[in-house]
Amino acid sequence: MSLAESPAAALAAPAWRLGPGERTALVVVLAGLVSALLAPLLPWVAAWPDAWVLPVTERVGSGLGWFLDLIKPAARLVSGALAWPMAGTTWLLAEAPWPLAFGGFVALGLWVGGPWMAALTVASLGFVLASGYWTESMNTLALVAVSVPLALALGLGIGVLAFEMRRIRAALQTVLDIMQTVPTFAYLTPLLVLFGFGPVVGLIASAIYAAPPMARNVLLGLERVDPEIREAARMIGTSRWQRIVEIDIPAAMGQILVGVNQCVMAALSMVIIAAVIGGFDDIGWTVLLTMRKAWFGQALLAGMVIVVFAMLIDRMSAALAEPERRGDPRIARAVLGVSVLAGLVSWTTGIIPGAAEIDLLDPVAAYVDAGLTEFTKANGAALDQVKNTAMFYGLLPLRIGLDDAVLPFTWGFTWDRGMSAWLLGLAGAGAALMLWRGWLVAATVLLAGTAVMLVGITQLPWPAVVVAAAALGWRAGGWGLAAFAGLSFLAMAAAGLWDRAMLSIYLSGAAVLICACVGGALGLLAAVSPLAWRVLRPVCDTLQTIPLFVFLIPMLMFFQIGEFSALLAICAYAVVPMIRYTRHGIVSTPADLVEAATASGATRWQMLRDVRIPYAAPSMLLGLNQTILYAFAMLVIAALIGTTGLGQAIYIALGKADLGLGVSAGAAMALLALIADRLVQGFAAERRRALGL
Amino acid sequence: MTRKSFALLAGPALALGLGAAEAAELGAVDEPIKLAINEWTGQHVSTHIGGQMLEAAGYKVEYVTAGYMNMYQAMADGEIHAALEVWTSNVSELFGELEAEGKVVDISGLGLDAKEGFAYPAHVEELCPGLPAWEALAACAPMFATAETLPMGRLVDYPADWGTPGADRIAGLGLPYKAVPAGSEGALIAELRASSEKKSPLLILFWQPHWAMSAYDVRFVELPVGEPACYEDPAWGPNPDATFDCDFIPTRIFKAGWAGFAEKWPAAYEILESYQLSTADQQPLMGAVDVDGRSVEEVVAEWMAANEAKWKPVVDAAVN
Repeated sequence: MSLAESPAAALAAPAWRLGPGERTALVVVLAGLVSALLAPLLPWVAAWPDAWVLPVTERVGSGLGWFLDLIKPAARLVSGALAWPMAGTTWLLAEAPWPLAFGGFVALGLWVGGPWMAALTVASLGFVLASGYWTESMNTLALVAVSVPLALALGLGIGVLAFEMRRIRAALQTVLDIMQTVPTFAYLTPLLVLFGFGPVVGLIASAIYAAPPMARNVLLGLERVDPEIREAARMIGTSRWQRIVEIDIPAAMGQILVGVNQCVMAALSMVIIAAVIGGFDDIGWTVLLTMRKAWFGQALLAGMVIVVFAMLIDRMSAALAEPERRGDPRIARAVLGVSVLAGLVSWTTGIIPGAAEIDLLDPVAAYVDAGLTEFTKANGAALDQVKNTAMFYGLLPLRIGLDDAVLPFTWGFTWDRGMSAWLLGLAGAGAALMLWRGWLVAATVLLAGTAVMLVGITQLPWPAVVVAAAALGWRAGGWGLAAFAGLSFLAMAAAGLWDRAMLSIYLSGAAVLICACVGGALGLLAAVSPLAWRVLRPVCDTLQTIPLFVFLIPMLMFFQIGEFSALLAICAYAVVPMIRYTRHGIVSTPADLVEAATASGATRWQMLRDVRIPYAAPSMLLGLNQTILYAFAMLVIAALIGTTGLGQAIYIALGKADLGLGVSAGAAMALLALIADRLVQGFAAERRRALGL
Repeated sequence: MTRKSFALLAGPALALGLGAAEAAELGAVDEPIKLAINEWTGQHVSTHIGGQMLEAAGYKVEYVTAGYMNMYQAMADGEIHAALEVWTSNVSELFGELEAEGKVVDISGLGLDAKEGFAYPAHVEELCPGLPAWEALAACAPMFATAETLPMGRLVDYPADWGTPGADRIAGLGLPYKAVPAGSEGALIAELRASSEKKSPLLILFWQPHWAMSAYDVRFVELPVGEPACYEDPAWGPNPDATFDCDFIPTRIFKAGWAGFAEKWPAAYEILESYQLSTADQQPLMGAVDVDGRSVEEVVAEWMAANEAKWKPVVDAAVN
């Protein structure tokens, strides 16, 4: 909430003329006070009454069911049509003898990026082959190969449309946001009903998820095309269609290729998640099977296959953008010829062992697994200690408040009313001191924070939460955002999802807080020390591309089922953007600013504090924004290790094929993510304006 | 996978030999029968045995990877033709709805002797000496407590989408425990594994046949024997005021299929209907796969060759 404070604005205003930040703070404190006073008198203030819950999930379920039945025949035609390219690529990649696909990729690498890329391809695919998951990996690759063109076409279409039709641009951007924030698990059930059983569902799910990055980059690229080029095209009388195809898209190609890269990565990560519904023997299914048996070594091995693919695709698509790196096509053709020959030989004679017979890395997996066992055995007591400390002094008070969390067997005593009074008095005194210094916003933050610690996030009275969300929305983005935030929370309450939503906010909020601190510190470290970045970077890359399921096993082994394991799993994934954006923001401080500061005799520490960090603030806020979205995304996966909240609801709905519950809970999740996104974007935009960027 | 190509190659070869004479009764031998492969090894074993029986009768069989909870819509649409190991205790509500609509059918019981209940790894008996008697649980509750459940003991319940049998029984028996839903089967296994390694206390809801039963030496708590009356009549059982104060009633495990199955492949339906598998036969095969790391196809093929008496008569009766 301290983000709401804009130092520039605060300095400019006289002490008692209220700026927007101060007014927001006052509204929040007032709402909290009124609800706290009324809650004991009016039960409907303390908790949303059951009688007010509308049958939203049932209505959504039956309405959606009717609609899906309506468009089912068309959808079945689509899945029938997609089954053909799917079968073809699967045959070519997975069912044909492995030397064929192996050699084909090496030839491609050679042509795209020369000998160095060919060597990288050999090493990567060699690893995949040795892992023993060749067939499964190739099935995954076949899925990606069919879904990516779909996603690219969809993304290109939306991007061009958004650029050409200014009026619907904002609406289209909201659509893109929704496509990225609604958890995939939530729309797997409707997709299953629509497209029927089989790999096509995973294919479509990943195309939906992967299209937005493409669309955004297309739009960005088109916006950056020099208007003069377009003007010149108009002068020589090209049609709109000609202009788009022949002038705009080629001119924006650099940015569009970034979109292609992001699109492929997103598709790769999503096919793994979609494996939950089954229907295809791919690497995601393998990860799930190994997770089911708590075989960490094997799950990690299967997960590393995805990391290797992601790395290879990333490097190859980067090389694709640089025509000067092309290798000799004749050698590439020769390699291809040899691999076709090897494929034929392997087919007819069986001299080359089949992919299923190769499992060179099994001992490594067994070793990793044994290592996990040893570690758990040796550190069981210490791990319990860590977990109990975190639960007793951090998570429990945050969730249910000091009032309920402090008990003789947690803190050693019982919390009573007197202690609450003391704590409130202390906070009140602190706030008074801050007021006296003119820090109104800081004072309210202190008061609100103390109140939350006393009551607990999940037990906050709903009117206070609704008002606070609306007030923050107003502060960050005006009346529109205020209405959106307030109404969203009311809708969640009316749908009977309030408790689950607050649990989700509590868990992701705790994770974001930790990620902001740890990620910010690590990003800072990476910015000042190139060595630290060299160590951190591959870790970040791995954490971002490895299937999320893999993290869950060790967390469970160390800390058992529950919120603490879930919290750590969420943090492991969501911390990455915070590190990246913080480092990026600090490193990219303009050289003239740095020189000016050096010239005026700033020490290294002063430079960091007064120049680099303020300059990096917008970038860090963007990192925070991404961290929030990542935390929400991981929340659904964390339901696999026994969290409650919206993620669990989505998971239950998937199991029961409950359309209404799944879609409602998914929508609630998306609303929370969108509100958080808009709030942070609003503050980031203000920081940028304050910095004159 | 090789199993798919195996089925495609072996199917026609056998069909040529047998199919000509029995075509009318066999039905559409040229079209593959699609059997669901779900998430657990026991199911793979049951399915491959059934599948190889069908192949022996001259059918083409295709094994289709499918999520256990999500496969029934596909079954109703005829995209999956049968699932050979469905647990009554944990079956999607959608199955009941589709069965009522006449789109899927309950073919028959599989004969596996399933058991569910409160369970613990063997070393817990040293920590709570009164086990396996359920009366010992009340006094041991503080030992099973964790940060999330204090001051009550922790019972690791099934994932939330499988229902809450643990929580219901705790309430019924009046035990000072709190049920924590596991989230997934992997989470249950990880708990068992960590507990066995750390020699820490663990009370968990578990079932057999399951490979982990022997791998972690899991034992069941002896609860009052489950009877239908216990679930309807509060007066029944140790707690006079509550239902669910008893053990699970043994779960029926059955074979489910597409409604059009019997008409399209009459003999195959008959084979699946009569197919029975015992826990004693299934459990060692699961061990061979999960503990020794061998492939299901190989293990099942060996078993089929060695135990012809157990399945051949079923196939012969249906085909001749």
